[in-house]
Amino acid sequence: MKEQEIIDIVNDVFEESFEIEKEELQADKNIFADLGLDSLDIVDLVVALQKKFNVKIRNDERIRNISTMGDLYDYVALLKKEGVKPV
Amino acid sequence: MKRVVITGVGAISPFGTGVHSLIEGIEGGQCAVKYMDEWNDYIGLNSMVAAPAVLKNEKDIPRRKRRSMGKMSIFAAQAAEEAVKDSALNKDILTSGRVGCIIGSTIGSPEALTETYEAILPSKDISEITSMEFFKFVSHTAAMNVAQFLGISGCVMATSAACASSLQALGTGFDLIRLGRQDAVLCGGTEEVHPTVTGIFDVLFATSTKFNDRPKESSRPFDVDRDGVVCGEGSGMIILEEYEHALKRNAKIYAEVVGYHTCGTGNHISQSNKDAMIICMNEALNNAGILPEHVDYISAHATATKQGDVEEALAIREIFGESVPVSSLKGHIGHTLGASGAIELIASLNMMKEGVIYPTLNLKNVAPECEGIAHVRDFEKKNINILVKNCFAFGGINAVLVCKKI
Repeated sequence: MKEQEIIDIVNDVFEESFEIEKEELQADKNIFADLGLDSLDIVDLVVALQKKFNVKIRNDERIRNISTMGDLYDYVALLKKEGVKPV
Repeated sequence: MKRVVITGVGAISPFGTGVHSLIEGIEGGQCAVKYMDEWNDYIGLNSMVAAPAVLKNEKDIPRRKRRSMGKMSIFAAQAAEEAVKDSALNKDILTSGRVGCIIGSTIGSPEALTETYEAILPSKDISEITSMEFFKFVSHTAAMNVAQFLGISGCVMATSAACASSLQALGTGFDLIRLGRQDAVLCGGTEEVHPTVTGIFDVLFATSTKFNDRPKESSRPFDVDRDGVVCGEGSGMIILEEYEHALKRNAKIYAEVVGYHTCGTGNHISQSNKDAMIICMNEALNNAGILPEHVDYISAHATATKQGDVEEALAIREIFGESVPVSSLKGHIGHTLGASGAIELIASLNMMKEGVIYPTLNLKNVAPECEGIAHVRDFEKKNINILVKNCFAFGGINAVLVCKKI
């Protein structure tokens, strides 16, 4: 999976689940301060990513370190390296 | 005791958004019931008719406020917004802690409930459940969501009593204001049409099943050919306000709430009971200090079930005889269950304002066992000073509200 493909899928989740305009979805944007998500949204983000990438990440401690969109793209790329495929 | 008046109304009904749509539909003699194609997948469901409302403009509610709302809470929020605007209660008053929010429904969003358990049960896996599902299907979903949406910080409560839910909400709000505990309360009910909800009535043989090919004739209260409930959806919201508080801010006043009573039947989980209905209506009238002969109109619960309509007709006959006009609006909009009390009261307030009584739609031939009361079968001009609103719910829960023109 190419890097852009990951970015597109993750961005789709933000557009669909959190109604955030595509233009806002930049790597340097903080998902809390800039994009307005809160802790409840993170639960839904995890559920959406699980569905998109066919993974179980609910208890993955690395999620706690994600603060920007770039962090999220990198995290998903890492999952990809670990062998997951999008559904 | 303080006096309580109605200063705002709002509705989402099977006729559309806003109280004006509800009134236009009823005054036009329309019926909002339709055949539910999408229910064909359900095995064993005999009733294929309902009166759905259309979800519109929900994105006008900010995502952060909307994310925890199922369809019924969105209906409630939109109806509440209309009621607040109608009352002209400002933000400072709404958020003062002196305004409450009491909204009832039979259950939380059945759509969210179904989605949640469909996701969990096949694999017994809860990891695919979003954070918001719970907030959409809890019993107090509408009350908490609407309170959050409007910033209401007074008493927030859900009255979950099936078809009596919104009338109990109004009665509870009435009591809170009478006792001086709140200056105003947003009261009402909300409900969703869903095959599992109609299915609950269906398994009890309480739904209409003979009119699937003629949906608009299916909901026929008091009629000889009635064969059961047709579910409807939507929300009715009413602002109750302490009289002096309303006068002080020069608010528009629809009517005064002068009496209320709620009681249990105590002898059967689903069967209506005329004796309990009589007690409930009499106690509400006593509470209001009003004699039966002074009542000008009764908005009946009458859901078009075989048994319930008879019990209500007998109860009304016992107290009022044939002297007081009676109609049910369920022929127009089906039975909006927990929302019915508020929606039908809003329509009744319009009757009071316009001096006209809306008839029972589809009442072609009064069932012999429902005779002996003054059925309204055509639009009838009448000055309504005092009206009675009935709601009689599954579980033997009865509620009656009395309103007076002011």
